[in-house]
Amino acid sequence: MPEYKAPLRDMQFVLHDVFKAEALWQGMPATEEVNRELADAILEESAKINEGLIAPLSQSGHEEGVHWNEGVVTTPKGYPEAFRQLAEGGWGGLSGAPEYGGQTMPKMLVLLFEEMLYSSNIAMGLYLTLTSGAALAIDSHASDELKQKYLPNMYSGKWTGAMCLTESHAGTDLGMIRTKAVPNANGSYDISGTKIFITGGDHDLTENVIHLVLAKLPDAPAGSKGISLFLVPKVKVNDDGSLGEANGVHCGSIEHKMGINASATCVMNFDNAEGYLVGEINRGLQGMFTMMNYERLSVGIQGLSAAQTAYQWSCEYARERLQSRAPTGPVNKDAAADPIIVHPDVRRMLLTQKALVEAGRAFAVYVGKQLDVSKFGDGEAKARAAGMVELLTPVAKAFLTDKGFEGTVLGQQVYGGHGYIREWGMEQLVRDVRIAQIYEGTNGIQAMDLMGRKVAANRAQNMQALLGEIRDFAQSADSVAGMEEFLTPLRDAVDNLESLTEYVLGEAASDANAIGAAANDYLHVVGFTLYMYMWAMMCRAVLSGDSQQGEAFATAKLQTARYFVQRLLPQTAALSQSIRSGSASLMDVAEDAFV
Amino acid sequence: MPQYKAPLRDINFVLKNVLNCNEHFASLAGREQVGEDLVDAIIAEGAKFAENVLSPLNQVGDQEGCVWSEEGVKTPTGFKEAYEQFAEGGWPSMTADPKFGGQGLPNSLGLVVSEMTSSACWSWGMYTGLSQSAARLLENYAAEDLQQTYLPKMTDGTWGGTMCLTEPHCGSDLGILRTKAESAADGSYKVTGTKIFISGGEHDMMENIIHLVLARIEGAPEGTKGISLFLVPKFLPDADGNVGERNGVSCGSIEHKMGIKASATCVMNFDGATGFLVGEENRGLNAMFHMMNSARLGTALQGLSAGEASFQGALAYATERLQMRSLTGPKNPDGPADPLIVHPDVRRMLLTQKALAEGSRAFIYWVSQLIDVSYFSGDEQARKDAENLSELLTPIAKAFVTETGLESANYGMQVFGGHGYISEWGMEQIVRDLRISTLYEGTTGIQALDLLGRKVMGSGGKQLMVFTKIIHDFCKANEGKEEMAPFISKLAELNKEWGDVTMKIGEKAMENPDEVGAASVDYLMYSGYISLAYMWARMVAVALEGDRDDEFLKAKLQTANFYFQRLLPRTESHKLSMLNGAESLMAMPAEAFAF
Repeated sequence: MPEYKAPLRDMQFVLHDVFKAEALWQGMPATEEVNRELADAILEESAKINEGLIAPLSQSGHEEGVHWNEGVVTTPKGYPEAFRQLAEGGWGGLSGAPEYGGQTMPKMLVLLFEEMLYSSNIAMGLYLTLTSGAALAIDSHASDELKQKYLPNMYSGKWTGAMCLTESHAGTDLGMIRTKAVPNANGSYDISGTKIFITGGDHDLTENVIHLVLAKLPDAPAGSKGISLFLVPKVKVNDDGSLGEANGVHCGSIEHKMGINASATCVMNFDNAEGYLVGEINRGLQGMFTMMNYERLSVGIQGLSAAQTAYQWSCEYARERLQSRAPTGPVNKDAAADPIIVHPDVRRMLLTQKALVEAGRAFAVYVGKQLDVSKFGDGEAKARAAGMVELLTPVAKAFLTDKGFEGTVLGQQVYGGHGYIREWGMEQLVRDVRIAQIYEGTNGIQAMDLMGRKVAANRAQNMQALLGEIRDFAQSADSVAGMEEFLTPLRDAVDNLESLTEYVLGEAASDANAIGAAANDYLHVVGFTLYMYMWAMMCRAVLSGDSQQGEAFATAKLQTARYFVQRLLPQTAALSQSIRSGSASLMDVAEDAFV
Repeated sequence: MPQYKAPLRDINFVLKNVLNCNEHFASLAGREQVGEDLVDAIIAEGAKFAENVLSPLNQVGDQEGCVWSEEGVKTPTGFKEAYEQFAEGGWPSMTADPKFGGQGLPNSLGLVVSEMTSSACWSWGMYTGLSQSAARLLENYAAEDLQQTYLPKMTDGTWGGTMCLTEPHCGSDLGILRTKAESAADGSYKVTGTKIFISGGEHDMMENIIHLVLARIEGAPEGTKGISLFLVPKFLPDADGNVGERNGVSCGSIEHKMGIKASATCVMNFDGATGFLVGEENRGLNAMFHMMNSARLGTALQGLSAGEASFQGALAYATERLQMRSLTGPKNPDGPADPLIVHPDVRRMLLTQKALAEGSRAFIYWVSQLIDVSYFSGDEQARKDAENLSELLTPIAKAFVTETGLESANYGMQVFGGHGYISEWGMEQIVRDLRISTLYEGTTGIQALDLLGRKVMGSGGKQLMVFTKIIHDFCKANEGKEEMAPFISKLAELNKEWGDVTMKIGEKAMENPDEVGAASVDYLMYSGYISLAYMWARMVAVALEGDRDDEFLKAKLQTANFYFQRLLPRTESHKLSMLNGAESLMAMPAEAFAF
């Protein structure tokens, strides 16, 4: 299995040359101390710890898996030590609030750390990033007392966090959950119920696990309006911060899964466990939604990360593996065959991965930028960015993971039969990333969220803002020599997306199924359009002389952009036709007629 | 874990109504006697065996896997017993030559049984499928004394067989293989070398394993023209034809794989093993290639089988799992939520699975009939035409059905949400098992080169024209039928476009040999969608002649409609992509793929 090497150059290109991050950070009081030097230092340190410590544990963790024995969960060899080092390095508190020991780093930077972490080892990464997610929810909604008591130890990685939403009969449809919360005289609640699919629900990495649990009060309204959020520690915490007695929280079993074998996916039993209300009664889902935008981007990055690793490794393999001759004549005359990278179809697989990964990275940073401005910015820019976050989050989650899966499958394909063999590591990437299309809301749910809640519900206002921004960009980039070949397809893509949006909204006026029928294909058209936008932005950085990565790097960027325009962007043609066929072909089939 | 149920209605519809199997069998020399009763009995018994004996072994096989020791390879619990039952039932001899005890039934009928066994338990099916392929090869190429010695026991299933092609340094590029054959005084050869990825190379299901091994005779020309084929038994037969002395063949290890874990993928060491030349010296690849059409069609069938199994699982889940309400109002008002199947995006996934499985079934069954004709028709011209056409269609079937099968299996898993990722539910196993099929028997890229390079360009377009003429004639014959019109007009349009696109690529390829490889996979997928459109149009024509109240036939028409509206538009994207040519693939120097 090859080693992981962080793509620092491309990260710096995106951050500094394309998005001019330093200027943005210094324009916002909360991040004004972050400069390029600091950002680069963080990236380099992140690369070191991920390449040297986290990545080498990926394959052994995959083979060994997590073990459950009478309620005790044991992670693979080396995981507790590595997690401790991650925590001690401060990597768990990067984006945390400073009053509780966090470092308030901008998301556009932190997400590149996440990329490296997931590229190295998704299963290990989840323990850390879910803790950050839980901490974010606590920070946004819990009382000061709870924050004081729990946040510092979560940011420092002394304790981890877990999100407990799903029950066996309620996944997408959280309105049906049954876990109960009964109020106690002292203001706490007794939580009882069973949650499933709880990532990091229990483990041996840290001495405590802080669960955020959705539950219903006895008199709560039915459905999603009667759900409250509770903080339930595995081990109770005394007033002085020391650990007290065990709480009624137990891991009943762990799942056997397709991948992320080193991540404990737990059935968690809450048996009159002591819990504390976070936020208001019956407003628990709102508490979850705050962090959901971050979580969904983070899951999207898992797709990007796995595809990055697959690309690196398959690229290495394609340069080394000798098999058959180039169609235009031998290029490696002294050996028995040419490296497979000479073959056009192998190049197709590599360039598809490359074009998707690099656009995906730029897109993730772009969404990170919107999150930062919506959090740290002010005035109109802040409001505008908040709208963009709403619009772009489902695209980031679903498109990055769908394309991430596609990338890993192509990487595996480059290896031929060896791609199917565990030792080579490629099949693990496919298996690990497959979950990302499912959890944190399946990609079908993301598509409905985009098309229904984010586009249709506000009559495409945010979408119009995005299309306007892209058109403005195209106009401003017009004067840069050499941009036309990228701006023409960008303008066409924007026009097409606009007219598709009108079409679907028009259909939706008289057909309740129109949105669901279009949703998945629509999300993909939006994704390709945004990737085209990213490629145009990257090309502008190159063509206007902003790239500081050298000539060969710049040329490769333009070539990859061309590949994207010519060989991948045409996929929107099929998606658009499919959308325009409406909902009848999906809905006319009687349920009994499926088989 | 989904319980497999053979799709008998669809199998019968395709076989009898669409492909007129009775007429077809009657046209085959020596196969005329295959009557409808026999066909029905075989399908019914095959279904029972697959459903009751094999389906329960599928998950056990995945969990236990094969176990290697010095003594040999142990297959999972129940595999051997199931095979004994299979052999007692006379199944291995179904399509074998009557000269050696076979039943001489057409391959296109054997294929139906293989579909069912593969759907029920892929790994198990591999042992019998490869054994039968090896026997067919010997029937066609081995000298009579070899046939007399080996074929009776291979025909009754006492002995099995393998194909030993790949070596560690050579997969797609067999010209560089190194296994040696030294001639011995008695006319036999001593075979020495290491072969990898040998499915069923060693196991405990049959008493002897007959390896067909590619090797070089000393002094043979370099490259593919110096490769000969040898029969190398695990045990040399004694004077009575029974298992005798152990030959110098051993299994060095088995691979740890992503899936098909119950299929032993072996490293085979040949150490001066006694082998017998099959066919002529240095013409080993010809014999292999002849077999390859049926072996590749067998792999296509696996793609279909797994897609079908996944569809069945997903459909059952989608009708049972209650989650959220229909957008057009509750459909299950007494339950807490509606079944998943009310949601348009779930229907999109299910109908994609259904349309691909049913279209692929018709396509593969048809190609298999062509192969029957190419072997057994009394009419020489018909034999030749069928051979040409089946050679054109085989790489399409192999790559298209496995690629879309993988898409389908992923949808099946996606329908299950988080449960799809959990091993117990069986859906992720289907994805892992299926993943091998785009790799082995020639990767998708290799099939695409075979199609566009060797078959289409190699024949100056003639081989393609045989097919486009058939489609053209079909469209003509159905002209003016009102209900057929939407299907026929689209099919005719694409059929014409297919020729035009091929011409354009052909012209470019004259200038630049890289154009073939650059277009190849897009071209193959494009061809696949048109081929399935043709099969769907044929099914529509048959369905329209049937009982209008028959729910099965109504669903056929609706599924055809779905295919034409939502999947067939993909041809447009493939066309645009491939017509953009090789430049964007070839421009980048190998060093610039990653920095």
